[in-house]
Parts: sequence; C-alpha cells; structure tokens
Amino acid sequence: MNAPPPIANPGPDGSSPSVPTPVPTAAPRRVSQRLFSSVEGVFNEELFFLILCVFIGIFSGLAVVCFRLAIDWTHLALLGPLPEAHSWRLLAVPSLAGLVVAFLVLHVFPGIRGSGVNQTKSALYIFNGFIPFRTAVGKFICAGLAIGSGQSLGPEDPSLQIGAGIASALGRQLQISREKIRLMAPVGAAAGLAAAFNAPISAVLFVIEEVIGRWSAGILGSVVLAAVSSVVIVRSFLGSEPLFRIPVTTFKRPRELIAYAVLGLVGGLASVVFAKTIGYLRPRLKALPRWTQYFQPALAGLAVGLIGFLGAPQVMGAGYGFMDEAMHGQYVWKFLLILALLKIVATSISFVSGTPGGMFAPALFVGAMLGGAVGDIERLLFPHLTGTTGTYALVGMGVLFAGFLRAPMTSVFMVLEVSGNYEIIVPVIVANACSYLVSRSFLAVPIFDMLTRQDGLILPSLEEEREETILRVEDAMVAVPKTILSAQDYVDGNARRVEDSTETAFLVRMHPSGWNIITRDQLQRLYREGKGELTLASVLPSQTLPSLFPDLPLDSALHYVNDYPLVPVVNRADSRKLEGVVTRDSVFKKYESRPSVEVSSTS
Amino acid sequence: MSWRRKLIPRSAPMLLLVLTVGAAAGFAAVGHLVTRYTLNQQARGRKLYYLGVADAAAGRSDDAIAAFRAALSCDPTNSQYQLSLARALRDSNDPSRLDEAESYLLALWQRSPQDAAVNLALARVAAHRGVIEDAVRYYHNAMYGVWSSDPDGNRSRARIELIQFLLQKHALAQADSELIALAAALPPDPAAHAQAAQLFETAQDYPGALAQYEIVLRLEPENSIALAGAGEAAYRAANYTLAAHYLHDAAQADPHNEQAKKLQDLTELVLASNPFHSHISDAERDRRITADFVQAEDRLLLCARQTGVDLDNSKSDGSKSVEVDNSRNRNSQSPPASPLPALQARWMAAKAQLRDLRSPTETDLPDAIMDVVFQIEQQTASICGQPQGRDLALLMISQKREAAGQ
Repeated sequence: MNAPPPIANPGPDGSSPSVPTPVPTAAPRRVSQRLFSSVEGVFNEELFFLILCVFIGIFSGLAVVCFRLAIDWTHLALLGPLPEAHSWRLLAVPSLAGLVVAFLVLHVFPGIRGSGVNQTKSALYIFNGFIPFRTAVGKFICAGLAIGSGQSLGPEDPSLQIGAGIASALGRQLQISREKIRLMAPVGAAAGLAAAFNAPISAVLFVIEEVIGRWSAGILGSVVLAAVSSVVIVRSFLGSEPLFRIPVTTFKRPRELIAYAVLGLVGGLASVVFAKTIGYLRPRLKALPRWTQYFQPALAGLAVGLIGFLGAPQVMGAGYGFMDEAMHGQYVWKFLLILALLKIVATSISFVSGTPGGMFAPALFVGAMLGGAVGDIERLLFPHLTGTTGTYALVGMGVLFAGFLRAPMTSVFMVLEVSGNYEIIVPVIVANACSYLVSRSFLAVPIFDMLTRQDGLILPSLEEEREETILRVEDAMVAVPKTILSAQDYVDGNARRVEDSTETAFLVRMHPSGWNIITRDQLQRLYREGKGELTLASVLPSQTLPSLFPDLPLDSALHYVNDYPLVPVVNRADSRKLEGVVTRDSVFKKYESRPSVEVSSTS
Repeated sequence: MSWRRKLIPRSAPMLLLVLTVGAAAGFAAVGHLVTRYTLNQQARGRKLYYLGVADAAAGRSDDAIAAFRAALSCDPTNSQYQLSLARALRDSNDPSRLDEAESYLLALWQRSPQDAAVNLALARVAAHRGVIEDAVRYYHNAMYGVWSSDPDGNRSRARIELIQFLLQKHALAQADSELIALAAALPPDPAAHAQAAQLFETAQDYPGALAQYEIVLRLEPENSIALAGAGEAAYRAANYTLAAHYLHDAAQADPHNEQAKKLQDLTELVLASNPFHSHISDAERDRRITADFVQAEDRLLLCARQTGVDLDNSKSDGSKSVEVDNSRNRNSQSPPASPLPALQARWMAAKAQLRDLRSPTETDLPDAIMDVVFQIEQQTASICGQPQGRDLALLMISQKREAAGQ
C-alpha cells in the first residue's frame, strides 16, 4: 500500500508553508493506472475525472449548505434575528467569539487564517493541489463562528476553501494522477464559491481569473460541471432565491452613463483605500509578538461590536439583509455613505486580525452602500436622472468587485447573474471599467496578489498574463535576403549567383512549394565535385526546411534557430511568399532587448 | 492509515458506486438538518408575524414593519410575510418605502402571477404612484386572478377600487366602461346597485346612474335615497318628466330632503316653460313662447344693468353699432364690445314677428323666436353668471335642445 502524501507545514497564517514539500507522485500514478486498466474502454481517467467533478460539486454544495446554516444558527443564537444598536451583546459576543477563534486558529487549525483564496491558489501552484482536510473543517468551524458572531467578514471565500479542501481530500483518497489531483483544488473552489453565491458563471470566472490564473480549455469543463452541480444542491435545499431581492432597475438615457462612470471613479477610489488599508495594517499586525495573536481577533470583534453598538449594527456579519434594505431605498444617502466607510474600517480590522473569513460580501456591501449614496447624491444634483437607488447600489456592487478584487469579468457577470437583469449591462460595464482603471492606477497589484506577496509567495495571475508582452516571430524577423536560390536552377548557375554575396547561407525555393537551405561552402563543394550540371533540387536532401508565420510566438522559433542558420518566415495565405527570416542572433537579441519582469514583494 | 486504504475500492465503477452512496447519505443527512432548522425558523417567524399583524391592526406601522422584517429574516421565502410587509410598507405614508414594497410584490408576482391578492397590492402601489396604465393592468389581473376566498365579492371590490381610482384621475371614459362591466355582474343587492349608481353619477354617466337607481327601486320601492338619486340622475340626463316623477316621490318619502325639493321645483319649472313639450295645445305653446320671450328680455335688461351696458342708446341701431364697435375694437386692441346690444336688436326684430305666431304659414316661427330666447339665456349666463328660476329652466331647455340636435 502506498504511503499518504506528506502534509506541508503551513505558515503562521496558513498561507505560506515554511517548507513546501512536494507530494510524491510515482505511487499514485501506478494505482491510477491499475484503477482504469480493468475497465479500459468504458472509463478512462478523463471521463472518471469529469464524473468526479460532479461529486465534488455535490459534496461541496452539501458542505456549503451546512456552512450557511451554521452561520445563520450562530447569528440567531448569539445576536438574535435583528440585532439593534446599544445592545451589550454587540460588544460581548464578537469579542468572546474572537478569543475562541484565536485559540482554535493558533492551536487546532493552524492553516485557516484569512480568506482562503490565496491558500487555494498556493495549493494549485506550490503543493500539487494539496489542501489538508483539517483546513476545510477548521475553516467551517472558525469562519462560521466568526461571521455568525458579527465579525465583518463574508462566507464566500471560506466556502471556496471548504470546497477546495473537500475536493483535494477526495482526490488524494482516490489516488488519481498528480496532474488531476492538482486540478482538484480549483474545481472544488469553483463548486464552493458557486454554492455560496448561488451563481455558477461568476464562480467559474472568478476561479479562472483569481485561482487558476490562466484560461485553459482542459479545466473549464470540470470547473463548470462542479459549479453547476453544487448550485443545484444548494438550490434544492435552500431554494433559488437570490441573496437579496433584486430592486427595480432602470436605465433609460445613454447620457446617464456619465453618472455611472462617476460611480465607477468613486468606487475605484474606495477600492484603493480599502485595499491599501488592509495592505498597510496586515504585515504590521503579523509582525507583533505571537502572544498578541490570541487577542487580535477579540479586539477586532470588540471594535466591530463597538461600531454596531454606537448605531451601525448593519456592518456586522456578511450584511446581505442590509444590502437588500439599502437597495430598496430604506436608508438616506448620508447613512449609506457612513455605512460604506464603517464597513471598510470594520472589514479591514476583522481581516487583518487573522480572523478566518472572506472579503467578497464586505466588498459587495461597501459597493451597494456607496452605489446607493452616489446615486442619491447625483439624483439630488440632477433630478432628471432616472436610475433608482437600487440600480446604483447594484452597479456599485460590481464596481467594488472590479476595483477591490480586480476581477473585471467576474464583476460584470456577477451583477448580471445575481440581478438576472441585462438592462443594466452597459452601466455595469462602464462603471466597472472606470473603477478597474482607477484601482490599477493607484494600486500596483490586486489585493489577493498583494496578500500572497506579503506572505513571501509569488503566484501567477491572469492580470499579469494579460499584460505580459508576448514576443512574436515578426518582432525578431529580419529582412528578406537579397539572394534567394531556386531549386530548379543548376548548381553552377547558383554558384555564380552567390559569388558576389557576403552571406554564408542561402534559402532555396523548392518546387512546387517549400523551402530549403544551402551554405556557400556546400554549394562550392558541389560545383567542385562536378555536379554543376545538376539542379539544386536533385542534390539537396528531400527534407524541407521548417517555416514560421509572423504571428507565431517567438518561442516557437527557438525549436529551429539552433539547427538552421536561417528560418524562413512566410505568409499564411501564400507559403511561397517570404515575409522575412529569423536567425539565432535575431531571436536572442530580441529576447535580450525585452525588459525583464521584476516581481517585487508588496508590503 | 493502511486499513483505511484497504477500504477504498480498486475499480472505477465501484468507486462511483461508493461516491453515489456517500452523496445520497450526505443528501439525507443535510436534508434532515435543513428540515429541522427550517421548522424551527418557521415557528419563530410565525410568532413574529402575528406580532406584526397585531401592530398593524393597532396602527403601529413602524413596529409592524419591524416585526414583519424579523419574521421574514426567519422565513425569507414566506409569501404571506412578504405580502404583509409590502402592505405595511405601502400603507406607512412614506413614499420612499414604495420601492421596497413594490420589490417584494414583484418577487411574489413573478412566483405566482395569477395571485389576485398580490396583483391587487401591486395595483395599489401603482395607484399610490398615480401610474394609470400599471394600476389598470394589475387591477384587471386581480379581477381575473385567483382568490382564496369569496372570489365574486373580491373581484367586485377590486373593480370598484379601480373605478374610484380612475374617477380620481378624471379618466371618466375608462371608469364608465369599468362601471358598465361592474353593473352587469352585480348581484340583486340594493346597496351594491346604489353604490354603482353613485359611481355612474361621478363618472357623469347619468342614464347609467338612473338605470342603477331604478334597479334599486325595483328591489326596494320605498327607498327614499334611491328615489332622490333617480330623480337627480334623470334631471342631469335631461329627462325632466321622469325626474319630476321621482323627485315628487322622493319629496313625499322624505319631506326633509331640501335638495330633492329644490330640484323638483326646477324640474316643474322646466316642464312648465318648455313650449316644445308634446301633449300641449297650440294655444298653450304660444302662451309659453310669449312668456319665455318676455322672460328673456327681463334677463337681458338685468344683465345689461349688471354689466353697465347702456341698451337705451344703442336701441335705434343696435346691430350697426355693434358692428362699428367691433371694427373699432379690432383696430384699437381694446376689450371686446358687449354682445348685449346685438342680442337686444335680435330680440326687437323677433318681437315684431311675435304676433304672427298663430299664422299657419309661419311654421318655423316658434323655433326662430325660441332661438332668440335661448341665445339670450346662454349669452347672459356666460356674461352674468348662472341664472335662477325660470331663466335657469330656459337655459336647461336650450341645452337639452342642443344636445338633441347634436
């Protein structure tokens, strides 16, 4: 029997293991082969993996249903159905729960601090998809207790990690190949997030944008299957109601887009403030002596409770109920603005204290409040605007998603999927684009990348990939050589043609198509050997020279430039038409001239 | 660990079977958990809901809203709670809460668009907002939707509410068509027909009102309110003979009804002054024309005095002077000249023909003379205000003649 894979030691916050130990792979591969050999022809590993994704979705969905019940039950038991300001519970409950959470995080579940998105990404890229099952259990208990007791955090990111943890554990137990085990974590993450959001498309996009960090057709099918099956499970237990009631949304005049663009700019700035606050406080609190970590969640709970006690209990917990109320015009703009600011403060405190919990719901909360406030102010100044408070709040959610989490595609689809209303797609795109641009202008890296870099990890991101300059063959291409030989001509004629040339190698145009190459020395040798009366075609080897197209990545030229002194670059529409050539020198010079990508740790 | 690994099946179908069994077991366990939790929450929600109902009944709308909200937080998909909260929000006299009320109702509507109670609530929200098109649509949905109890009564009440809303918005034609539909479906209930009659009156469909009062009177012949209503409706419909009949009976049934008595007097005056009434002799017709003609002159002179127009100076060449005055007015942009001298000129011209009333060759003369009378009454009414007594009667006869001519 094979030994279980060694468990990586998580770092103090669970995101950066001190000694990343690779998981042994040879043994699982052997078992995997045995698993499928008996039923070859019916099940191959690909098909089995797809079916497994459905089961991951089912198990993740069941876990997320329990997680949501646990949060609701904790909230009801500890704070009551609708907590009101000036209640002593608001101070006591989050503080005491913070003490319990701190103890559990430090002594029982050491890998569960923070949101869970980065840990899942680390699992994919560093630990071969390995997430300890204990992390999923710990996340369930501690995040449930923290959010239920009123810490200003959301349940989505923990759901993502719970799903990833379940998937990873399942993959290990079934001993499928290392390649597939590595994919289990993002598949489970998509299932967990889809179940938490009740929105499969957004979950798939987010996992691709933020966890996997690249578009890959191979994994898309598995992620979609898992996400859809988990959503089906959640809906069968909890109904298909959205997280909040969708307000009446209106968008009538195109010139109102200016108002939404302003919302995007304001949301972008708020995102920057939010992310910078977390980025500034987190390393400083982590650097404090270890004993302070026993009290940080409790003090954060006390601070959040104090905000609630003094008159804004809306900022406690995930806050979906209050987003609902804000979207339906229950608050005046001044209060909406205050709630947005207080939520940024409360979430920053809760998150940097190391309390397990997510930032999705708080980002949506801030976006909804800010959107409602900006919309109301704009309508006060320009009464002809037709958008309702709910419309602005809904757009505002997407704005924070685009600016704070820097997931532009997810942000658009999330609003559309949650609202089920395509009428507001244009305002959403405009506002999100503005927010994204503002955030990028003031914030070098997205929040999740910033957190991983603070933990000393450098993981790939889709944003980096999107912006990476891709070198193409045309960038290294040099002009067509003056002398092109024809395979139909005789050797002596060709030898005369190259006499005055300074080049050492010459392209030969083959008939009817294709290219070959011959050096000056080879040509002269053939002439000396008395083969001057023969055509080049008859003396050249039959194997033709590989050719490239101008738009291919420059990497593809590397396969040939070592073997051939010249590689022809031809037109895609006419392979006899020469666009230029690449040489080893031209390719390497191009690589040398590219600015190096320097990854710096952001603190 | 090795014993655990021994339990893991070695073939893919067996693994899938194990996973299926595991999923089914998980499904059952979570289902049990969710059911227990849901039942617990529902019980808590019910308590809060009844608290809200009591608050709403006592007029404490803010407390009711808070209680309904709390109930909904326990049982978020409960339609009854949502509907109650939406109603409480709508009735809270806070226009800013209408959006939220509408949102709840729209969510309910999407779930069951045939639910009449939801449609009625949405109609009321639209009515609060004054959006006629939406209100009419939702009221109609409510009328043709599914009611849990007393469907006929509820449908009728919804239509009456729609009619009242349309009347309030002065959409009289729409209201009238709804009233016709309402009247056709009313049960033989005097109160319902009386209400319909009043609505017809408000919609200015007096024949419709009269028809409804007559139904009431067939059911309750001694109903004094219906008698007075029928009389007034007939009077407004210019059916003076019938009006006199009903108003007479109304005055007898309820001697304290001053309005009925006043209308009865006026109606009798109309009947007594009308030279075109059938069943009167030629002599009586001539007598009435002569009396009306004299009455018109008195009215003309009185109006001239009231407005300070000197008819004596313009008596010699009335029409000419009017023409001159008018041309001067057009040139100088001064206020328009009074039409009273011209009217007096026409009256004088007609007076000369009055003696030919009995001539068998002058068959059109009664109409021509009464035209002058009617013109005087109409013009003086527009210049000097609504007349009283016989002048009013003549004005009403003229209006009836005009309506009949049209």
